[in-house]
Amino acid sequence: MSQNHGDETQQCHDTSRRRFLNGFGVLVGATAATQLLGGNAISVAMAYTSQADSTSKAGKLLSQAQLIQLKAICAQVIPITETLGAADVDVHGFIDNQLFHCHTVKEQQRIIELLTNMDKEAQAQYQHSFVELSAAQQVSLLNHIELGTSHFKQKYRNDFKYLKTLICFGYYTSEVGASKELRYLAVPGGYTGSIPYKTSDASWGSQGLSY
Amino acid sequence: MQNEQMYIKQTSEVYDAIVVGSGVSGGWAAKELCEKGQKTLMIERGRIVEHRKDYIGENKAPWQQEFRTSVDNLLVEQQYNIQQQCYAFKDATKHFFGNDRDLPYNTPKDKPFSWIRANQLGGKSLLWHRQSYRLSDYDFAANSLDGYGNDWPIRYKDIADWYSYVEKHAGISGQAENLPQLPDSDFLPPFEMSSPEKAIKAKLEALFPTRNMTIGRTAHLTKPTELHYSQGRVQCQARNECQAGCSFGAYFSTQSSTLPAAAKTGLLHIAPDSVVHSLIFDEQKNRVIGVRVIDNNDLSQREYFAKVVFLCASTLGSTQILLNSSTKSQPNGLANNSGVLGHYLMDHNYNANAGGDVEGFEDEIDRGRRPTGILVPNFYYQPDPKRKFLRGYMLGGSAYRENWKQTQHQDGIGVDFKNSLKQAGKWKFSFYAMGEMLPRFENQVALHPTLKDKWGMPQLDIDCQYSENEKLMMEDAKEQMILMLEAVGLTNVKGQTRNKPPGLAIHEVGTARMGRDPKTSVLNSFNQSHDIPNLFVTDGASFCSTAPQNPSLSFMALTARAVDYALKERAAGRL
Repeated sequence: MSQNHGDETQQCHDTSRRRFLNGFGVLVGATAATQLLGGNAISVAMAYTSQADSTSKAGKLLSQAQLIQLKAICAQVIPITETLGAADVDVHGFIDNQLFHCHTVKEQQRIIELLTNMDKEAQAQYQHSFVELSAAQQVSLLNHIELGTSHFKQKYRNDFKYLKTLICFGYYTSEVGASKELRYLAVPGGYTGSIPYKTSDASWGSQGLSY
Repeated sequence: MQNEQMYIKQTSEVYDAIVVGSGVSGGWAAKELCEKGQKTLMIERGRIVEHRKDYIGENKAPWQQEFRTSVDNLLVEQQYNIQQQCYAFKDATKHFFGNDRDLPYNTPKDKPFSWIRANQLGGKSLLWHRQSYRLSDYDFAANSLDGYGNDWPIRYKDIADWYSYVEKHAGISGQAENLPQLPDSDFLPPFEMSSPEKAIKAKLEALFPTRNMTIGRTAHLTKPTELHYSQGRVQCQARNECQAGCSFGAYFSTQSSTLPAAAKTGLLHIAPDSVVHSLIFDEQKNRVIGVRVIDNNDLSQREYFAKVVFLCASTLGSTQILLNSSTKSQPNGLANNSGVLGHYLMDHNYNANAGGDVEGFEDEIDRGRRPTGILVPNFYYQPDPKRKFLRGYMLGGSAYRENWKQTQHQDGIGVDFKNSLKQAGKWKFSFYAMGEMLPRFENQVALHPTLKDKWGMPQLDIDCQYSENEKLMMEDAKEQMILMLEAVGLTNVKGQTRNKPPGLAIHEVGTARMGRDPKTSVLNSFNQSHDIPNLFVTDGASFCSTAPQNPSLSFMALTARAVDYALKERAAGRL
């Protein structure tokens, strides 16, 4: 998939939206349609807004150094391809905010411990902190942690799996993840039980209330 | 009528009718009363929710929400600890749930009951799951056949026309099947099944001739009629974000459907923020003459008066008001000469599910978010002494293709991982059971002798639990789901039972049951109090059994029928 896919999706959204609004206007009258839909029904901001980067200072839970480390992990787990990656859309900032507001102290500690342990391993193996490692070294370290190979403990593996779910949640609920990497239908217009699908098609990024 | 005229606070007017509550039942009562020329006061304990304007969570993409659909921990812990157990509790819907901090109730330590609340105009009609099913004669006769509970004083023929009547207005989509245990509604076109669902249906019905699979019947406008357009409603857009509110009016709610109809008559008045404390009873005339209300915000007291009162305050809400309306002559609560008020509390039991992988169909996906699943109607509708339990269950379910939420657990990072999550995964199919709960005297609510809430209402003590019968039924459901899923060719089939407390099906019914005998029931066959002729209770409190079906469609039909009866009785001079 190229970046064009995102553009096509964007156009597709706008077209289907226009078509939908036109149809709706015919149905209930243009004035009524505007009134009916005012504010809420079609309010998804379609324009891409560039993301802030939360590494300029300490977060709500994580220190600035931990945010920088988390950003590096995000960049390796969901890298930039034809679409932006997790680090580019500030998933590290999202995780800091989300852990602080929506997770338990135990879950917060779990991530902090993982970051600390990961850095210790980086020091032990390469005599550098995680962020100072080369990309290849970072990937190798993360793979070893996830697969529980080498001397890594099962606990590290579980903690990293947990961090990955936070990264995925942050990315695929971001505008880029949900609507550029995946396909987002704010207002599908109806339900169709079967349409053709090929492996080059993106999955649906729109999940209603069930994220 | 302008809104400022419709909403009232102080008045000495004697209305033709008072309706307590504004949810599914209250909305229907108000609509029917107004359309039959009655000046009606609808009393709502919570705030006003205006259609469209107050759906503040509607159509917000996850990235437009601070916590990406999750809810702030502190808020949950301090204010929504019970409510957050509901599947529909999200950032976009949380303002339609009651605040647990203000709504205390008590349960024995070993018998939790999760009481889900929706105290605002529209009540739970905004939050409901919209599944709409008629009860059948098998359901109405069930209590009389095995002796649990009392016999429903009505049969299908008494209510069939009323089902049709409310269905045409509400709009119920579904597929006619001509099944004895699940009568067809007057349907709008059904939602489609996906290809795997169609395949599973075909195999299941071939292998198990008494077990059918149909599309979930749901109060969504798949193809609106002129009547629906006239209510300001249009076709369902398949967003499946219904509980945030729907500006299309595509699903039935008080706001989308019954309130506009009632308001159009010019006879509807609404008293919002009015917590009903008790009914005002005239001992000499043996009639209710009004209600005492505590202001939701400033706790001041006021009264409203009417010639007839419809209690539609939710199953436990209506019963709580009756229990708190005791008088010298009726010390155990109003309309409780029978002594069964508060007893026979029931909920459905959703404690079993199963699922597995569907092979094939990789070159297909569905489009849009269907606001319903599939349904396997109760196949145990005929009593059978060989079964280990009484009554039966329905199965809900759906097929879906895995997405990142499932595939994220795979090992790996980087470009391959990202590309893998971009694709749709395997097709899966899952079932969950919706089991009937027996009516039992000991499952009951009562007023706490001393504890009160901030409005001065005595708190409810809820003492309710599933019995061995319900547990055995869930074990059977698990086994049968696994058996069926394996038989139709699914792989990696797994099933489980759970131990979630009653309340969470949000189908609480009973506690002011109907019946033929005033000695053993609170209401007659028209939801009228046996004891007090101008008092009606038409919400779930009136149920004699749960049946396996979702109850809301029956709330609608019973309410419309009760209003019709009440006005005929009044015309005959008997109210």
